[in-house]
Amino acid sequence: MNYLKVNKLGVANRMICSALAIVGLLCASTANAEVPGITGTTFNLVASADFTSQPDGAMIYSWGYGCGSTPSFLPAPAAGSAGPAPTCPTMQLPGPTLIVKEGDTITVNLTNNLPAAAGNTSIIFSGFDVKASPVVTGPTGAKAGLLTTEAPVGSTVTYTFVAGKPGTYAYYSGSQPELQIEMGMYGAVIVLPATPAVGCATGPFSLAASAYDHAATCYDREYLFQFGEIDSRIHEQAQAQVLACPTAPCPQINVTIEPYRPNYYIINGRSMPDIMDTSYSANYAHQPYNGNPHIHPGEKMLMRVIGQGRWQHPFHFHGNHARVLARDGNLLLSQFDPTKLAGPLEFTFPTVSGQSIDAIFSWTGKGLNWDVYNHKAGDASVCIPDTNGYYTTASGAPLTAPNYGEWCADHNKPIPVIAPDPQIMANGQWYAGTPYLGIQTSNGGFNSTPLPPGTLNQNGPSTEAGYAYMWHSHNEREITTNDVFPGGMIMMMLVDPNSWFIDETL
Amino acid sequence: MTRILLYYRGFAALLCLFAAMPVMASSFRVQCPATTTLHPNAPVLDVLGNPIEDPAHPGFVKCQEISGTDGFATMGDGNQIYLFGFGALSGRQSIESGLPGTQLASVFNTTGSANAGSIEPAEIMNQGILAANAPGPMMSIDEDDEFFLTLSNVGMIMRPDLFEQHTVHFHGYPNASSFFDGVPDASVAINIAGSFTYYYTAPDAGTYFFHCHITPPEHLQMGMEGQLYVRPRQNRLAAGTDLGTALLTANKKNPGADGVNCSDILCTGQTPLPAAAIATGTSGVAQPVGGAKYAYNDGDGSTRYDVEYPIQIMGFDPNFHYVGMTFNPEAFVDMKDKYFMISGRSYPDTINPDPISTLGADGVSRISQPQPTLIKLAQGQKALLRISDLNITEFHTVSTVGIPMTVIADSARLLRDMAGNNLYYNTNSITLGGGESMDVILDSSNVPKGTYFLYTTNLDHLSNDAENFGGLMTEIVVN
Repeated sequence: MNYLKVNKLGVANRMICSALAIVGLLCASTANAEVPGITGTTFNLVASADFTSQPDGAMIYSWGYGCGSTPSFLPAPAAGSAGPAPTCPTMQLPGPTLIVKEGDTITVNLTNNLPAAAGNTSIIFSGFDVKASPVVTGPTGAKAGLLTTEAPVGSTVTYTFVAGKPGTYAYYSGSQPELQIEMGMYGAVIVLPATPAVGCATGPFSLAASAYDHAATCYDREYLFQFGEIDSRIHEQAQAQVLACPTAPCPQINVTIEPYRPNYYIINGRSMPDIMDTSYSANYAHQPYNGNPHIHPGEKMLMRVIGQGRWQHPFHFHGNHARVLARDGNLLLSQFDPTKLAGPLEFTFPTVSGQSIDAIFSWTGKGLNWDVYNHKAGDASVCIPDTNGYYTTASGAPLTAPNYGEWCADHNKPIPVIAPDPQIMANGQWYAGTPYLGIQTSNGGFNSTPLPPGTLNQNGPSTEAGYAYMWHSHNEREITTNDVFPGGMIMMMLVDPNSWFIDETL
Repeated sequence: MTRILLYYRGFAALLCLFAAMPVMASSFRVQCPATTTLHPNAPVLDVLGNPIEDPAHPGFVKCQEISGTDGFATMGDGNQIYLFGFGALSGRQSIESGLPGTQLASVFNTTGSANAGSIEPAEIMNQGILAANAPGPMMSIDEDDEFFLTLSNVGMIMRPDLFEQHTVHFHGYPNASSFFDGVPDASVAINIAGSFTYYYTAPDAGTYFFHCHITPPEHLQMGMEGQLYVRPRQNRLAAGTDLGTALLTANKKNPGADGVNCSDILCTGQTPLPAAAIATGTSGVAQPVGGAKYAYNDGDGSTRYDVEYPIQIMGFDPNFHYVGMTFNPEAFVDMKDKYFMISGRSYPDTINPDPISTLGADGVSRISQPQPTLIKLAQGQKALLRISDLNITEFHTVSTVGIPMTVIADSARLLRDMAGNNLYYNTNSITLGGGESMDVILDSSNVPKGTYFLYTTNLDHLSNDAENFGGLMTEIVVN
């Protein structure tokens, strides 16, 4: 399905066309878990080869980390859940997210089940003081590598480290990394604070109440975004050399590393639209993690962002700024008052290779000078400001109030412009049909042309009716999938009315 | 209540220009109310013609109109390049002088004024077609303003096969509503022969930028981007006012704010009080007589500058632009910029003080790149560089020689920790990817008179396609 060819042949509406390209690939409602992963103090990982899928139908030969034994999933699936069961195959992209607790001693047993031609492999746990199992002489067992101790094919190496401080960290191969990381050998470690800060409450689907042992790092929701890219030609070359040498000894794989020409741009191993589909969906057996962030007005979202590729990908999140909490797990505090944060406010993260950023995003609608909930004087709507000016529990708002969290200073104010003729506007697939947030019984005169029949609205006007924002790479050519727009590094983030339950149940 | 001054539709004669268009009438409609609920009184002008601010209703109603269109630009090697772009339909005199085109409502609505908005459909079409600028018309507003931005889609006459909508995305704008965010997937987008008026307030000063969000890898590569910044209310303080006291007072207008600390983690509508002012509530720095210009509500005068230069980093791939004019499928994987530009021009065009015009396909020459970026300072002055990056393929490092840069802001926010300590830093280079902005101050106090350079140290970008010279560079002249 080449969208561009279709478009240039004269299909009238590019946006709708792009929407149609997505229809049928997305579930209208997903079961997610905010940050799915595996937990414990001992992890039995394997490195092996398999195929990952792309929305254009390509199956990409990949290497990755997976589970060698049944792990403990976190969050654990709810009893009787209708969603897909958590999985940890022997190869996945990215590797299993290891969720551990601050202070624990972590043991990772890595077994190299890669094909013979791939040679030794290993894991670098960036940001930790790692001890590896002793190097063994003879054909099997751990071997000394350049960056860390390696496991030859068929062997196992053990790494131990203390999860010294909370945060988000990258792990990745330390063996022929220019090839193995490209092939998919990377993942994330999340260290939860041993004693979350006093005064923070754990959100219903969050891993912890605070990101760090610090009261300024409370959060309500969290999402992990791992940015990477794929040059499929490298994968094809690697596959050919693997097939050419089924049994050891094999020459080291030699592929064209430069010029680098990535044609797939992935977040959490998937491209748009697959990225927004359910976590653990059977459609992507080796890409279990999604990227489908949601938030209620006024909540704090912890963004955990890692650059896992060779390239930087400027990650622009529409809607508002985010406050950077930490880089590489190092909390940024004021040098003069350590009770205060010092990280910058940003609207685009540089997403540096190998670096992680933790940040807090929030959205309230404050200061727009019109009522985003479409209230009008005399409609009996209520907005009583709390201390900070919002309609919340503190000012008597029921949690089910459609306008929970409203910025009361703009209550009842109309939009100060008149809408254009609905016949000359095109609607988007995430547009809930009105300029307003939440389910509406009237649209304030802002009529618009409905989506063409058969187009699946991803933001149901009578159910969810959120505000959708594009979160994407701002090196815009990276929001394509092998020359096709839309694709690549795009997610739609939804600000949902508080009355819409953001279901992250597994 | 909003008053719509001008409303036209049913201009069927235009259809001859767009025989293939499915719409049956034009729906151009320009909205620029003289007064609003927030600004109920039209401003009174002083003897110089400047508006007098009403203390009870600070700020003004400001308006701008742009076209979504196509056109041509002249690259540093003299080659023409085809654009999708935004053109000026108001503030044209200002735009052609390299300035922001944003106007007071009273100016915008004065028919016949050189900076008035185009209202009649025929005028919109005549002024809009083939009039794309690189970058698009610059916009600037002040905190407390209301901004009515009308986008009129006049179609892309070189590509009659396309029925493209266009939008405006205010990039980085705080607490954006999805409706006016310009993402077609999440909102509405205006078809050809129609207008859409975006409404914005100006809640937080800073260097933002704007661009079209239809098929971004195509429309941004083709040139649909521009500069946008919001000036702080600190500029407008009366002479003698203590900057720290004023910031404390302004912060306290946010419910729940003590004025010293931010009432939320994103410091919405607030700036942490500078540490030096916390104990007494005053900074000891007063607004000078005659006023001063600041980049942010710093409360301590540390972002004061004398001259400002918006700098937009751009890149064009001539192969993509050629394909974009010739009805062929476009390749994104192999996109490779060959023209590296500051505000639409490569060196040495960057220092040309005049607007650059380009001959269009209809034999008419139009202004295509109005913005020179020759940075001029009298010795001792400070220049504010509002640097934004809207190239869509690579990261760029921009360096200075001879004059160190002081980075004062990132992503349109002052670099200050939540305890009030400035985190500015001196550097000779900054690195930005697409969608990032930084504010930098050049201080010429201890700099000998002479000519210095602002240029990319991605050295292969100091070229104009095949010409091994030029690229992303301009001059800094200290007199």
